[in-house]
Amino acid sequence: MSKVNPLFFALGIPVLVIVVLMAIVIPRFAGGGKFTDLSPFSVDDYRKDWATLQGNAYRFDCQIEKQLAYEEGKGRVLAVKPTDISRGTGRVPLFVPLAAGETFEVGQRFKCKVRVVRDLLVVEDLERF
Amino acid sequence: MSKLLCSFLGCVAFASLAFAQAPQPGATVSGGGGGDYRSSTGEAMGDRLFDVNSDSVDMENGSMQWKGKTFNLGNSRAMRMRFERYLASPAAGGDMTKYIATLTQIEKILGPNVVNQNNVYASQQAAFDLLFVAAEHEVDGNNCLTIATQVKKIWSMRAEFRDLNINKNQLEALRKTQEGVVVNRAERMEEANDSKANSPTTANGGKTGLTKTSQGQTELGYRVKDEQRTQAEILAKNAEMLALGLKAQVEFQSQMVGFLLARRYRHCLISSAFYRVLFKGGNQNIRVGAKEVKEFFPVSDFVPTLESVDTLAREAMNDVTTGMRTVDDLYKQGELYGAFERLQETYFLGEFEPAVMMYDQGKKREMLDLWRDLRELQRLGDERDLANVEGYVNKVRGRARDFPGAAILSRVNNAINASNMAVLSAKQAALGGDTAKAEAALERATKIWPQNPSVKEFANQVVSRQDKLSQMVPEFDRMIAEARWREVFNKKLEFALALAQDKARSDKLREVINRVGELDANIQKASVLASQNNPYLAWDVIVEISKTESDDLVLAKTRSDIAPLVADYARLIGQAEKLEREGGEAAALTAWMAAQDLNPASPSCGAAVKRLAAMVAKSAVAKAATTTPIPAAGDEVPVPTGK
Repeated sequence: MSKVNPLFFALGIPVLVIVVLMAIVIPRFAGGGKFTDLSPFSVDDYRKDWATLQGNAYRFDCQIEKQLAYEEGKGRVLAVKPTDISRGTGRVPLFVPLAAGETFEVGQRFKCKVRVVRDLLVVEDLERF
Repeated sequence: MSKLLCSFLGCVAFASLAFAQAPQPGATVSGGGGGDYRSSTGEAMGDRLFDVNSDSVDMENGSMQWKGKTFNLGNSRAMRMRFERYLASPAAGGDMTKYIATLTQIEKILGPNVVNQNNVYASQQAAFDLLFVAAEHEVDGNNCLTIATQVKKIWSMRAEFRDLNINKNQLEALRKTQEGVVVNRAERMEEANDSKANSPTTANGGKTGLTKTSQGQTELGYRVKDEQRTQAEILAKNAEMLALGLKAQVEFQSQMVGFLLARRYRHCLISSAFYRVLFKGGNQNIRVGAKEVKEFFPVSDFVPTLESVDTLAREAMNDVTTGMRTVDDLYKQGELYGAFERLQETYFLGEFEPAVMMYDQGKKREMLDLWRDLRELQRLGDERDLANVEGYVNKVRGRARDFPGAAILSRVNNAINASNMAVLSAKQAALGGDTAKAEAALERATKIWPQNPSVKEFANQVVSRQDKLSQMVPEFDRMIAEARWREVFNKKLEFALALAQDKARSDKLREVINRVGELDANIQKASVLASQNNPYLAWDVIVEISKTESDDLVLAKTRSDIAPLVADYARLIGQAEKLEREGGEAAALTAWMAAQDLNPASPSCGAAVKRLAAMVAKSAVAKAATTTPIPAAGDEVPVPTGK
């Protein structure tokens, strides 16, 4: 019976832990998770000419800045800023229908599926991260 | 010492009174002429006698206060000129020393320790001769000649007196002879009468023969008459001698007091010395003004004498010496104004004293410059030229650091404020249509400060008001119709004056003034914000007021000044407004939020964001449902649907 080299455990266990952690963390920073199949939303494009984006759905990773308005039975308008600033900075308004059912706090981050409905960004689905 | 001082004060008061009573209004103070020293109005000075105020010179009235007593120095203009001439003149040189030495020698020769029974005439003659030596000096002003003349006159009077005495003696001898004749004649008559009574009678009892009963009576009568005439002539000579003696005394004493009043103290002392040797001991009392002099001395049994006058003169000389020492000390300490004042007083107290006459010319020159500045300052004050007073006060302060300019400036500022207040009141009254009140206020302002520029400006406005009235009303109407608010505002004062009686137009004018005033305040606010490196807030203010005052040129200029600083901000706001007009509330909201990112404190951005967010929230579902339906769950292609 061959004896397992202790060195194998000494090196193998840490490597395994690192691999597992990387498997968990990298997808989060790399924009993984839900809506990975959607194109990322560009704040700059939206600001420049929202009309060209009408009807499209995008993945929008954002952080809540402030709730601007709340309409009973309809939803709320949030001011959010993109977590990925490579496609534009600055705040944009986001309409979250009541059906989304989430509780929103300032500073929370979400991965959203947004659709450009005329000039308004409407959240169709979202995931907190 | 106090007695001495009191006696001095009394005599000074008397002297001033006498001088003030001089019959000739233009009489000069020099030359020993003097005034009416026998004035009996000395009582009037009684209440002022011991009111010892500080020494001062009143240039306006031409008088000087010395130890509480007033010296009338004559015409104030002449007084000023004399003092100015003194300041400008060079100091007296070596001759002055010689002159003083001569005067002192005269006094010594006539001194009581020198003159005795043996040398009384020789001393008089020696002193008399020295008077002519002293008179050769220019500074003497020939006053020693006056004394010499007076002495010579006394000598002549004395000779006349001697002649009168001889005549009187001769008459007395004649009278005695005549008396003897009268007695002789009377005895002879008595003898004749006795022999007649003892002669034998006739047989029939009658007298023998015809004889004169009063033989020699007629002759006796004539002899008695002659004797009486001689007696009367003797009495007349006596009276004439008495009068001559009194005249000599009075004239000499008058001259002496005259010198005292003319502040020729040394001449007064020399006159006194001569008097002492010329007149007997029984005639040493003061006759001229004795009553008044006595009244001023607080001693009930006081007898005014020559020594009283001597004391006054010596006290004045000492005071002058002390005064000049004070002047020099103040000068050395840099207190030129104080030195100037003391010099002025000392000069008028003893301008002929050597200490005054020999004062250094350089120092006097500095005081002359100060004196001229002070006179100019006084002239400005008299003319109420308040605007220039401050400059001159500072100029005088530059020369004399002890000059009390703060009080003057305080009064000037008060007067300026009062005048300006009166002008303001006049303007308000004029605007209210109260012409009488406006005129009164304007008169008050002019009285306080005749050259007040506000008065002139207001007067011009009032004068041209009537002319402009006919032009102003149509001009105002035209400007209002053309909404030229700024131009109306710029001419508000003219319009206010012209439209004071027109209530409707005045109300309109007030409205315009308030409107442009508010606009200006906002423009000012924007300018301040921009200057404080806060251009975005400044732009907010500009944008806000531009909504109502878009045609104002000042606003446009301010806007153009600030615009380059906030180009991005302005572009975002413009874009937001445009999007909102086109119905893109969400896009407009995005633009407003971008603008707010640039200017977080902006109230207008905050309001717009709040308003648009509410609108978006209300219309979002409808918009989503009607305009762009949510695609099916499987549609995840980021391409527009094409609808």
